Amino acid sequence: MPSLFFCILLLGLRVTESQASGLAPPQQVRLDADKETQTLSVTWEDGHASTFDVEILRTELMEMVLNETVGVTEDQSTGKHQWNWTSPVPLECTSLSVKVRSRDGQDVSEWSSQQILPGLDLPDNTDSQMYPEGKTVPVGSNMTFCCIVEEGQQFGSLWYKDTLVKENMLSRRTYATTMTNQGPSNPSGTNVVCSNEKKMIIAGAVVFVGYPPLPSDLVCETHDLTSVDCQWSKGRDTYLFGMTRQTYYTLNGRNCPKARNSNMRCGLEQWDGNWTLVARNLLGEFRLTDAAELGHRVRPVAPVNLTTPEVYSWNASVGWLWKDKGFERLSLICQVQRTSHLNSSTQTYTGYGLNTVVLKDLQPDEKYSVKVRCGSQKNFWKWGEWSLPLSFQTKMDRSVAPDIWLWMDSDNLGRVLWKPLTKSESHGQISGYEVILWSPEENSQQTLTLPQSVYSLPINVTDLGSKVTVTVTARNPAGVSLPANVVIPRYLPDAEDTAISKVAFNGSGFPLSWVAHANASCGYVVDWYNTSCTQDCNVEWTRVAADNTNTMVQSGNFFAGVRYTFSLYACSSESTVLLERWHGYMQELVPSRTVLRLSPNQEGADVQLTWDQIPLEHQRGFILGYTVYLTNASHLTLLANITDPQLTNHTVRNLVLGSYKFTVKAYTAAGEDGGATVSISLEPYTYWLIMEILVALGTMTCLLIVITIACYRKRKWVKKAFYPEIPEPKLPGDWGITQGTLDVKPSPHSMVHIVEDSVWDSSKEALVTVPEEDEEGTGDEAADTDEPASLRYYNQVVEEGSSSQRRPHASDSSASSTGSMDSGHTDVTYTGIQTSACSLAPMAHFQPQPDASQCVGGGGYRPQMQSASCPEEPQTGPEEHLQPPVGSFGGYQPQCSWKQDSPEADGDGLDQTCLGSPTSVTSSQFLLPYDTSEEGKEHPSSASTWFHNLLTGKP
Amino acid sequence: MAGTRTRRVAGSEQSRTARAAALAEELHHECTLLLELYRKKETFAEELTVGGERLVTVPPLSSQLSPNDRLWRLYSALQQCRNLLERAIGLEEGVGNGGDRAQYESQRKTVRDRLGHLLASTRLLLEDRAGTAAFTPDPKNTETASPVNGSPFALKLWIYRIFSELEHWTLTTSRTLKALHPDGATPKESRTRGRPRGRRTRR
Repeated sequence: MPSLFFCILLLGLRVTESQASGLAPPQQVRLDADKETQTLSVTWEDGHASTFDVEILRTELMEMVLNETVGVTEDQSTGKHQWNWTSPVPLECTSLSVKVRSRDGQDVSEWSSQQILPGLDLPDNTDSQMYPEGKTVPVGSNMTFCCIVEEGQQFGSLWYKDTLVKENMLSRRTYATTMTNQGPSNPSGTNVVCSNEKKMIIAGAVVFVGYPPLPSDLVCETHDLTSVDCQWSKGRDTYLFGMTRQTYYTLNGRNCPKARNSNMRCGLEQWDGNWTLVARNLLGEFRLTDAAELGHRVRPVAPVNLTTPEVYSWNASVGWLWKDKGFERLSLICQVQRTSHLNSSTQTYTGYGLNTVVLKDLQPDEKYSVKVRCGSQKNFWKWGEWSLPLSFQTKMDRSVAPDIWLWMDSDNLGRVLWKPLTKSESHGQISGYEVILWSPEENSQQTLTLPQSVYSLPINVTDLGSKVTVTVTARNPAGVSLPANVVIPRYLPDAEDTAISKVAFNGSGFPLSWVAHANASCGYVVDWYNTSCTQDCNVEWTRVAADNTNTMVQSGNFFAGVRYTFSLYACSSESTVLLERWHGYMQELVPSRTVLRLSPNQEGADVQLTWDQIPLEHQRGFILGYTVYLTNASHLTLLANITDPQLTNHTVRNLVLGSYKFTVKAYTAAGEDGGATVSISLEPYTYWLIMEILVALGTMTCLLIVITIACYRKRKWVKKAFYPEIPEPKLPGDWGITQGTLDVKPSPHSMVHIVEDSVWDSSKEALVTVPEEDEEGTGDEAADTDEPASLRYYNQVVEEGSSSQRRPHASDSSASSTGSMDSGHTDVTYTGIQTSACSLAPMAHFQPQPDASQCVGGGGYRPQMQSASCPEEPQTGPEEHLQPPVGSFGGYQPQCSWKQDSPEADGDGLDQTCLGSPTSVTSSQFLLPYDTSEEGKEHPSSASTWFHNLLTGKP
Repeated sequence: MAGTRTRRVAGSEQSRTARAAALAEELHHECTLLLELYRKKETFAEELTVGGERLVTVPPLSSQLSPNDRLWRLYSALQQCRNLLERAIGLEEGVGNGGDRAQYESQRKTVRDRLGHLLASTRLLLEDRAGTAAFTPDPKNTETASPVNGSPFALKLWIYRIFSELEHWTLTTSRTLKALHPDGATPKESRTRGRPRGRRTRR
């Protein structure tokens, strides 16, 4: 009872609400699904409003999918409202519940009864499924895929291609994933796979992601002046393949079944003038149009049946046929392409219904292949297809004149050279050559025939005069070629007459330029060869036109490190003149060997290094100079950089004694060679020692001269200091001699003779002065001559005490002869000795001339050991002589008195060892003032007298 | 004489069995490669496996069966594999052949050719055992399943399963033939002889 009451109450409330809003809820709501497009169509009746609220939920989980107010007008014809909704999720995925209510501003009606669109996840549909399957969508689109798991299985995961993706649960069995901005598929589509918990594939779908067709460039033309052939570009790849997804084409509504892959063309039987191409696939279609007159789109088919009616050496004619007669009445332009082993060229011909052309400038004895294509001369559109090729061979002709040159090894010997004729020059197989040497001066001619394989001929022009012309001709089956002439040039080796300059390789060749030469009527010739080559050299040459003054010498035979000589000749019919020469390297390298014969030469403290230049073939570059190093272990110290390549020596200066190792390297632009090394050990310089001695001697000599001069100039002082005036001897009696200055005039001739024991007698124990006059006779004879008396001394020991027992002739010199006492067995004869005045006293005695007076005048001084009485009694007996006038020497004693330490003095006493005056000839001892008590013991020497005279300036 | 002839025949059969085993082993290797190429071509994830019922159905190869019966069942299974492969190739052509599929198609052709050789070898073994008169024509299995709904994915999955069946049955054949061989293993000389023969045929 209470429940019944409650129901009635609720019903009453609802009626009250409806009556309150005044809006009737939509009736007969109906759902229609287009699963392919995922579109849900909702229709209802009795809704008088124009605005409705629509609510869509997933039935199973009651999740809101859509709650939207939409404006829907009533279809007047049916009286129904229809609203379409496109679901982002395939409609098969799960059931949807839809209800609608009318809305008028804020007033709303009651909801309509809920309508359910059943999904495929209902229990009675137990299989695993995946949606959408096999759909084709444009690139970049978003899609939601759902997997309905088989009843009783456990969902595992979703995979897009081979990538695991995140899923979203839509119902008990349905899981979905949304892929955004999809990229193009592979040809078999993109897989979306659903797996169970065991990672076993239970369902899947394929989506084809691609593009709609986008063809371009539709062009239609005719090949036969009747039908039409249209072509276009495929354009962007659609990424869609297979019978259902590929692109289909129609031309003016007709299918184009042959338009596949890249062959985008379609034909029609008749010329329409306007064409429309439609390209279509599942994602859309695209249209292209074209329009043209027939005469503007002629592209002829290829000519057929090519023939060569006439073939000659230098030209030939080619003919062909047209399959379609229409071309015989059409003005045509045709291209003929001819191909030989040399090259390929195309020539163009025009003509009305053209079907024959003449090919010119062909090469004799040459195989040609020709093909032809044509187009419409008027309103030219495109060239037609090439015809099939036709081959033919031209006839032979005489060859061209050989390119000849002369290479002279000397004035009369050389070689004639010519280049092998190429196929394009020979015009047929060459059978041989003919060489003619002729001299207009001598009016002689030599002719030689050579086989085809010979390209040079040694010549000797000794007997042909100075101007010889060489002519070479080539022979082939067609005849003899034109002659090639050259006048033999004068032989000019390097460094003769012509300046040689350097030329550098610029990467492609040697650029040569020169001043134009007046006598080059037939141009110039540049030849080149390996400079190191001396015999049978490989000579190449090139010819330059007369109006050209430069060329680029190129050859495949240039090698790095090889010097080439380039010679420029001016060529005329009269002569061949060498104009200029160059040397050049394709690439300079470092020398391949070192300098030759490197040798050191010591010059005092200097070392001069000399070497020879590197041979030309080993230079491998222009030698720029030499570097000299001091080698210390492996370290090189640069001593000098010689930049003159002609200089082949260098002097290293101021070296101290020791061993040195020098390295000399030649260098080119590429660098230095390995270096030649030489060692030297510096030794003391003997000449230097000699030089030092000579200098010392010279110095001493100069010193002595200076002293002598000084002494001479200061002789008075010296005399005073060392040789004062000897006081007047105090004689016991009056000598009656005039007191005066003692003038001693040395005898002009003083001779000393060494006599071999002539008067030696064992009985003689002392030197005895034997005046010559004694032997010759009397003293009168001596008085008659001016010759100085020769004194003869005999070896004797002078003893003061025993002197009285001597011969009466024992003169005053006897005592002085004791200077020779050591040479006891040698008789020494002194001749020409400038005896003192006293020693000549006996002579003076016989010759009482001024000399005698002088002697007397010198009475103040007596030679040592001379008796003071000699002036008085020169011929007196020994008794008188042997009485020494002690104290009569003016207070002087001979230097012998200084020798008190001598051994002789020890034995015999000072008196016995006192030396005689003659010893003083070589003695520098001065006579010193003597104590008066000892005066009688010594006699002044004659040398002292001479010295005295010197000091006093007397003669 | 009869005994000698029997031994000679037995020796020949053993050699053929060994050659067939070697061919089956080689074919199994080719099928494995084909399956891998197909998986990569269709971008099936490596972790996923193909489920569902077997496409090739023969009675179980029980060890209780005689060698002849086991050979018969193997022969039948291989026949079904070949029929399935031929159908798969035909259907796959219709899907489209864009892209770079040269290696895959070459491998597919290799498998088809060698499968034919294996069938011929197996047939010879059956003839040795049962005699020519007892041999029946090729069992045409008309019940081979095919994708019914024309779904592209179903076709792909079906082909994938066919290749899996091929891989399975060539392995089974290889093992069975090895088991039938007295040595239980393929002699080396048989292996070396089997390979060039297949290549010659391919040419």
